[in-house]
Amino acid sequence: MIIMLENKVKKREKHLFRKCLIGAIVALSIGMIAFPLYWMLISSLKPSTELFASPPTIFPKSISLEWYKKAFQNSMVLTYFGNSFIVSSITTVVVTIVATFGAYGLTRFRFVGRKIITVSSLAAYCIPPIMLMVPLYRVVSKLRLISSLLGVIIGHLALTLPFAIWLLISFFKSIPREIEESALVNGASEFTVFRKIAIPLCAPGILSTAILVFILSWNEYLLASVMVSQDSMKTLTVGLANYISNVQIDWGIVMALGTATTIPIVLMFSLIQKYFVEGLTAGAIKG
Amino acid sequence: MKNNRGICFLDNIHTRRKLLGMTMVLPTVIILVALILYPVITNLYLSFTNSNLLKSGSSFIGFQNYAKIFSDKMFSKYAWNTLIWTVFSVVGQLVVGFALALLISRQMRGGTFLRSFLLIPYVVPAVSIALIARWILNSNYGIVNHWLQNMGLVASGQSALSLPVGAMIVVIIFNIWRSYPFPMLIYWAALKGIDKELYEAANVDGANKLQVFLYITLPQLRNTTLTLLILRIAWTATYFDLIWMVTGGGPAGSTTQLPIMIYQNSFGTFQIGYAAAISVILGLILMVFVIAYIRRSKNFAD
Repeated sequence: MIIMLENKVKKREKHLFRKCLIGAIVALSIGMIAFPLYWMLISSLKPSTELFASPPTIFPKSISLEWYKKAFQNSMVLTYFGNSFIVSSITTVVVTIVATFGAYGLTRFRFVGRKIITVSSLAAYCIPPIMLMVPLYRVVSKLRLISSLLGVIIGHLALTLPFAIWLLISFFKSIPREIEESALVNGASEFTVFRKIAIPLCAPGILSTAILVFILSWNEYLLASVMVSQDSMKTLTVGLANYISNVQIDWGIVMALGTATTIPIVLMFSLIQKYFVEGLTAGAIKG
Repeated sequence: MKNNRGICFLDNIHTRRKLLGMTMVLPTVIILVALILYPVITNLYLSFTNSNLLKSGSSFIGFQNYAKIFSDKMFSKYAWNTLIWTVFSVVGQLVVGFALALLISRQMRGGTFLRSFLLIPYVVPAVSIALIARWILNSNYGIVNHWLQNMGLVASGQSALSLPVGAMIVVIIFNIWRSYPFPMLIYWAALKGIDKELYEAANVDGANKLQVFLYITLPQLRNTTLTLLILRIAWTATYFDLIWMVTGGGPAGSTTQLPIMIYQNSFGTFQIGYAAAISVILGLILMVFVIAYIRRSKNFAD
């Protein structure tokens, strides 16, 4: 009897110990992920006397918006935001439309070259911007687009289209064909089936692809920095990177702009991350 | 006659479907050819010329650029940096990703929230990570640098980013921070996909938890790990943005890897012929991994 009780207590202790251990691991991983972002946020909110205190304060004693005010007083900052928004929006619209047609065509129809195109778009997904940089730059400068946003958009099309195709193929594959087939048997045309059945069924997938393309384009640095020469055509990432390459860095402003660049993206992603998780884990990558 | 017409009808439907499929794929093909295939071929061509970004004329010089690469001491140093950067980044993100996948695959309160939270670094812009890195390692006001100074790892008034090894460690850690979510998700999905009966059978046979983990869970994840390794090596070895914005390749070239070398030769000294040759070499190494990935991928299989 006593032995049994002792065992029970031991088991409970073991259980409790494990719960604490897992709790500690969860807390640690949340801390590791949150810390850099938290630090950027509070640095942007600390008044200058506290921002440049040594040792730094982990919890700010006072909060002010002075850095945000200063950052947005510079009219270039609004231009950078505008440029990023234009580039990402146009890239997203074009890539989403092209990739939706492309991925549907590749998953639902059989024709000569279908396989080779699918494989090529997968391979294209692995080709990094550093290898496209010089040739695209030469094309863009020959077309005299070097001082417009069109060059950046062209670069971002090249980067995001293979990714979008890759994601959409797995989304289209995950919806059953039977519904479309029965509509075909009932006399609907292929295009009607695509428009009225496949697209609505795949809407969450298409929407999350669009948002991911937007995020990729918004975050991209290399091609955006190479393709434009004028300050007024720079995107946010390029403008921000310029700030930190200065000798005299205005850290408060940089932190405020970093926060302002990151928050909309994280919010957008949290809207679609459920579908993203489903799409990514649905099939494409499972070995 | 009736039979004939039937065949004819079928034939029409087939050609129509074929044509429709091709039309739908056409814009994709045009963009892929113009913006990816053409640049790749251009690079290959440039690598056999002495082209300069600022001069219009160029001549064919055969394999001279390639010969120059193999006598360039900088190339071997930067190739070594690429190797260090890639190996530690990839192993790090796979280990962290796997550990966190084990964590989020447990049944617990707030599990979905934890998973969503841990995905955030996936979308944080590299530029934001770069400026955070430079701020927390600032020699006077950086919090992490302050801790490192207290521990005696960094001299006072000095930043970890000004030490050759320190800078490499910093960029690798931040790269792991931004890139573990992808392996985490894939491992998480793979863990969910393992057949439950395997675990039950092991329990019946009286295996303990460690044995179950070693002999069932790990072997079942072998394919996933291979695919992740291939993809992640290909992406990490060619990744430019983060290192460039955190260290610019310094101090003294200690964090310069091949992508940064390509950039410097293209837009620093404008020798795009030579830069193209480096990127062809990098591309050839990469191609081995890309082909391996495509062969493993189920996306194009039916």
